[in-house]
Amino acid sequence: MRKRFRSNKQSDNVFPIAIDELKQLVQDNFPNNPDLAFSIYHHNGKKMAVFFISYMVENDKIEKYILGPSLTMEKEWSTQTLLNEIPLSVGKTSTSIEDVLYGLLLGKVFIYIEQEKEIIEYILLNKEKRSLEKAETESLVLGPKIAFTESLITNLNIIRWRIRSTDLVLEEIMVGKSIKREVRMIYMKSIANETDVNTMRQRLLDLDVDEVEDSAVLSQYIEDSSSNLFPQFDTTELPDRFTYAITKGKVGLLLENSPSGIIAPASLFSFLESTEDLYMRWQTGSFLRLARFLAMFFSMIVTPTYVAVITYHFEIIPTQLLLSVGESRASVPFPPLIEALLIEFMLELLREAGARLPTKVGQTMGIVGGIVIGQAAVQAGITSNILIIVAAMSSLASFTAPSYLLGTTVRLIRFPLILLSGILGFIGLMFGICLLIIHLLRLTSLGTPYLAPLYPLSLQDFNNVFYRLPFNMENNRAKFNRPKDLVRYSAKEARKKQDIDE
Amino acid sequence: MEINSNVKSRLQFPAFYLFFIMYGAQTGVGIMGVPKYIFKEAKQDSWISILLAYILLITIVSVMLVILKQYENADIFGIQVDIFGKWIGKLFGTIYILYFFFTLLSILLNYIEVIKVYLFPTISSFSMGLLFIILIIYCVLGGIRTIVGLTFFFVILSSWILFPLYDPITRMDWDHFVPMFHATVPELLKGTKATTYSITGFELLFVIYPFIQNKEKIKLPLFLGLGYTIISILIVTVISIGYFSPLDLADIDWATLNLFKNVSYSFIERLDNLIIFEWMMVILPNLVLHMWGMTYGMKRLYKISQKTTLYTASIITLIFISFIKHDKDVTMLTDSIAQIGFWLLFVYPLILLPIVLVKKKMRRPRAEVKK
Repeated sequence: MRKRFRSNKQSDNVFPIAIDELKQLVQDNFPNNPDLAFSIYHHNGKKMAVFFISYMVENDKIEKYILGPSLTMEKEWSTQTLLNEIPLSVGKTSTSIEDVLYGLLLGKVFIYIEQEKEIIEYILLNKEKRSLEKAETESLVLGPKIAFTESLITNLNIIRWRIRSTDLVLEEIMVGKSIKREVRMIYMKSIANETDVNTMRQRLLDLDVDEVEDSAVLSQYIEDSSSNLFPQFDTTELPDRFTYAITKGKVGLLLENSPSGIIAPASLFSFLESTEDLYMRWQTGSFLRLARFLAMFFSMIVTPTYVAVITYHFEIIPTQLLLSVGESRASVPFPPLIEALLIEFMLELLREAGARLPTKVGQTMGIVGGIVIGQAAVQAGITSNILIIVAAMSSLASFTAPSYLLGTTVRLIRFPLILLSGILGFIGLMFGICLLIIHLLRLTSLGTPYLAPLYPLSLQDFNNVFYRLPFNMENNRAKFNRPKDLVRYSAKEARKKQDIDE
Repeated sequence: MEINSNVKSRLQFPAFYLFFIMYGAQTGVGIMGVPKYIFKEAKQDSWISILLAYILLITIVSVMLVILKQYENADIFGIQVDIFGKWIGKLFGTIYILYFFFTLLSILLNYIEVIKVYLFPTISSFSMGLLFIILIIYCVLGGIRTIVGLTFFFVILSSWILFPLYDPITRMDWDHFVPMFHATVPELLKGTKATTYSITGFELLFVIYPFIQNKEKIKLPLFLGLGYTIISILIVTVISIGYFSPLDLADIDWATLNLFKNVSYSFIERLDNLIIFEWMMVILPNLVLHMWGMTYGMKRLYKISQKTTLYTASIITLIFISFIKHDKDVTMLTDSIAQIGFWLLFVYPLILLPIVLVKKKMRRPRAEVKK
């Protein structure tokens, strides 16, 4: 560390320098790089060097606004006159060669006049990016359809436009030791909990990795415990979901080159929230949210229950149903465990194939797979009709999770539960469920309990987690985020009733 | 050893959870078979015995509270060392820990026996024990927060068990309760004594007290929790008396479980089987709390790390479970635990109280003289 510091200091003193020497210095640092444009101009006995990496900058602008004015100008070239004459607003001067070398990578253009003490830099970066598109992984029926893109600047632009307040902080932190990447920590200064912000900042600063590939990777680096099943930070590609969480006092992260933002702290239930619940009427919103909870639970236990019941506890099935179950299972040669694992595995394959294949082929795959699994598997006597219904139900339910990460976790949990039920019946299933609950109880996200507001219990926070009250009753922010400012508006005023004819 | 235990504030929890801790620690395997034992003693007046048990319970817990309030933030281990000195105090503390251990063992053994009798006659005790031990270890490793959370969740998740009892209620014969007030006072008291095994667990208050955040609000959740236990026992016993014939009830082990036998719906038959599995959620808080009490006690008394005690106790439990095979032995163990529990939990605090008060009186003038 110290060595590096010293070398930094030495290189700071390069200027003033001869242009040929500067050229040599820059080229030494970018060996075999044909894209480095280094051109030298003469004017009134003065020498000027302009250099940049050609595809990192906007070439038109260089020609039009830098070379044009400076080559035709009357006055003598100096750092001051150039800064004055060039009609661009982002000019700066720099004295450190380290900055120059790094600046080239950021899309800066450097202008140096021989024997001057400073070097002029203009940031004219040209970043290729896709245009804004509809959200792909989290789709909404109502509400804004726009999604984050890979460009951090665009994403920041979207967020600033959504939260137009000076209260919004977009803190810049660099992560990655060898390949640096910019992370923006986004929060509301007067609402977000201080401890959360500090913890998050500390975790980002302490991060000692070569590079961070994507925000999903970043969230795995900085989460509380890496040995557990559940995602601990919410990732979303929807700006409205992102800004909604931030205005409620959470901390958001955006990583350069990554189309999804991270929201922390998260609880198990925040993965089941969709902003759509807000856009619906409150009755529908509440109903759909509850339906999603049930769906998650259902998805986890319905196939294991089938396996346990058919293998060990068929006495709990009423006689009528038992007859049809027996009939449909009569031709199946496998024990229920194998049967269920087979079908569940096939469904997983179908889902995975659908996700990997190009869209057009993917749809065909789905239809073919559906017919094969649905009809042919039963006729061939591999599985029973009832299991197909059960498995389809559980897999359908797992897709209702607004968060793709949680959906996959739920589908993963099903397999150990099926195994346990197949081996030990309901005892195994109960064991699995108990273990899962203990596991969830032990989890934290940024130090906040994962099952909040259920445990620790805080009844007034149930609103907006398990159901949604009409907006005039939501006068407080959720307490378990520990926001600095709990009150959104005065409850008394909201409750004020008007008399007739007033 | 310090008499007061300084618990870090982030480990403390609100008094509100005491409701669930008390119910979770008290309700376990006892309630599965308790109607038979009370009925044997007090016959159709069993309900009076249970109400008497509630009065007894409230008295004892109040006594415990008075003892605890004499100190700043102490638990039973510290108090005993303070009163009886280092050696005897630690000996008494060890008795408590052993009591916790054998309670845990008897709960596990009883439940495994129920599983064997009702569902899987050939399942090995060891594998059943192993399942529970894994859950206990995983939970206790999470610390007091996880333990309280588990108790809270499982008490709520298993509370539906009482609802299907509406079915036996409709089939009850209320004539079984007349003539009322037939039992003599000694019979009633014997019935109360038979109830005590099912309501043990409140002794954990002695251990968990320093972990409570707002001690001034402790009374309401505490007594409500105890009341919920008693009400459950009362409901189950009253229904059993009305539902079974008086001649049979004295012979029915696990009468409570048998109450569910007749409950059936169009989509589910034999609800009793499900209830037995759901009972896993009823006994887990029990097991986990006792295991935690044990590990924490060992840390307080001998400075042994909680993890060491946890693993050692788990292995010993597993060994015991694999060797105790006959239901005769299980019954013997349960009976002796019930006996010891009666003396240790219901009688001992009454003896401890005057000693604590006298000692405090004696100490105060001395402290004033020093000033």
